[in-house]
Amino acid sequence: MSDALRKVGGPVIALAAALALSSLIMLSFHASPMRALEALFQGALGSEQGVAETLVQTSALLFAGLGVAIAFRAGLFNIGAEGQLTVGGLCTALVGASLHLPAPIEIPLCLLAGAAGGAIWGGIAGFLRARFGASEVITTIMLNYVAFLGAGYLVSGPLRGDANAPETAPIAATAVLPPLLADTRLTAALPLAIALAFALAWWLRRSVAGYELRAVGSAERAARYAGVDAGRVIMQAMAMSGALAGLAGATEVLGLLHRFNAGLSPGYGFTSIAVALLGGSDPIGVIFSAFFFGALQNGALAMQALAGVPKDLVSIVEGLIILFMAARRFSKGPLFLRRPAATADVP
Amino acid sequence: MLVTAIAKVLPKKATPLIFASLGGVLSENAGVVNIALEGIMAGGAFAAVVTSYYTHSVALSLAVALLTGAALALVLAYFAIAQRANQIIVGMAINIFALGAAAYLVSAIFGQPGASPQVAGLRDESLLTWVAAAIVVALHIFLYRTRVGTHLRAVGEEPRAAATAGINVVAYRYAATMAGGALAALGGAYLSVGETDIYSDGMVAGRGFIALAAVIFGKWTPFGAAGACVFFAFFSSLQIVLQGANVPAQLLEMLPYLLTIVAIAGFIGRARPPASDGIAYEP
Repeated sequence: MSDALRKVGGPVIALAAALALSSLIMLSFHASPMRALEALFQGALGSEQGVAETLVQTSALLFAGLGVAIAFRAGLFNIGAEGQLTVGGLCTALVGASLHLPAPIEIPLCLLAGAAGGAIWGGIAGFLRARFGASEVITTIMLNYVAFLGAGYLVSGPLRGDANAPETAPIAATAVLPPLLADTRLTAALPLAIALAFALAWWLRRSVAGYELRAVGSAERAARYAGVDAGRVIMQAMAMSGALAGLAGATEVLGLLHRFNAGLSPGYGFTSIAVALLGGSDPIGVIFSAFFFGALQNGALAMQALAGVPKDLVSIVEGLIILFMAARRFSKGPLFLRRPAATADVP
Repeated sequence: MLVTAIAKVLPKKATPLIFASLGGVLSENAGVVNIALEGIMAGGAFAAVVTSYYTHSVALSLAVALLTGAALALVLAYFAIAQRANQIIVGMAINIFALGAAAYLVSAIFGQPGASPQVAGLRDESLLTWVAAAIVVALHIFLYRTRVGTHLRAVGEEPRAAATAGINVVAYRYAATMAGGALAALGGAYLSVGETDIYSDGMVAGRGFIALAAVIFGKWTPFGAAGACVFFAFFSSLQIVLQGANVPAQLLEMLPYLLTIVAIAGFIGRARPPASDGIAYEP
């Protein structure tokens, strides 16, 4: 019982502290936190359309959040989800535009292309870390910009598929992910992401590779002595992490944009860091935190329109949640529920 | 022609980067990684504009920017030092928080999202370029020629040994991080009250991360980092000067990031951070 409480206690405290602090900010600008919360809730979950749009955001955040979480479990910081998502989305758009196969073949191939693009982008950082000891924090930050600028160059130059806007050519009709519910943008991306979360949870807990990944994450040296090839595990973890972020980009392209352009992501890759942290880097926990942030981001627009609170409040809440989750004192849960010894350094 | 055009743009591009990267050099030499330079620059840029908006005093706006930077860095320092939280995560949190807060406050204060109105700014921002250059030299002398500077580097290399020698590790880390934050915020203020006289969302545009790259590229030394900033600024100036000359701008802009990856992988000499950079000190 107390084990489950422990797991949930930290995030709940971080959440409460973040909401309390942001309420203070609202109050100091004469906005009512209650009205803001009400409007946010109304926008995020108050109508079928609202729920669908919340779930659309949840899917992207879930893919990318799972990626960041897997890296965390291996003791790695993948700050590069946004770049991996960009590369994945671009690869998907290119494959989707050039192949015209029946949907049951076309869609998996497009998803695979996105995962592969992300895996390569993440894998570069993993390789540099494993081979040269280069900090993945720095390389993923730098690779983000290489991805944004590189993609920007490609779609405004060599890969431009539209005369009027810097974007690729539209994907084939058979590559489009159809909506699950009529008149919404919700696609099969969500069930796919949830299934992946369960698969990853199983993989981490039950497979040898998952065990090795966790071993390297909690005690790299000990894992090395026990015969684990830590370099291989690091590369594999970063590639997996990148592949998951790449899938976020792929499903955005196949389900929503139907092509690649600069509007691919409103910062899902960065928010996914908060998603992974709040979810305790546990795939199942990440499902819930992705939903939370999906609702938060989607409700923010209604909050701005109905309660007059700028939508950027969401970033403030997000930053505060990350901050409180980072502090061990908070993230390990209430004092009386804490384990005797803190285990890993990385969440 | 090309040379004079570049010479005109280069200082404008290099100055904010130099301030921010010197901030990074200072805190990282004391053992605190500051990846929040981007957010702190935005905080400084915004604070300067708001102060100038209400007081019409540019001097005061620069002072408030410095204080804002120190305050944001204090958050990093507190969580990194007292809470022993992971510095990368705290840095990311401050980035997201500061950029979000600035955007929120622009809407809340000026009643319109996106950008502030025009405020009183520096009449001649080249003054700040000279200040930046002076700080490069001063920081070099401080770090390598003074007792306090040597102590600071000891704190970043071997905090336990430093503590044994009677150095107050915690105090040095707090001071270095906060002073570094103040410098980064001054770089942000250069962008707002120096160059454009407004604050707009996204105006820092990754400069904080380029400054972080310059810290690494410059091997954690003031002259190295400043040199890297000038080098990186050269490419962005070139891109402005060559506008319309059919040189893909994005590829030139990409260069600093690519070079940093190459540098950190060890292909250009060895880029070695201070030994205890980013590691919490547990007495």
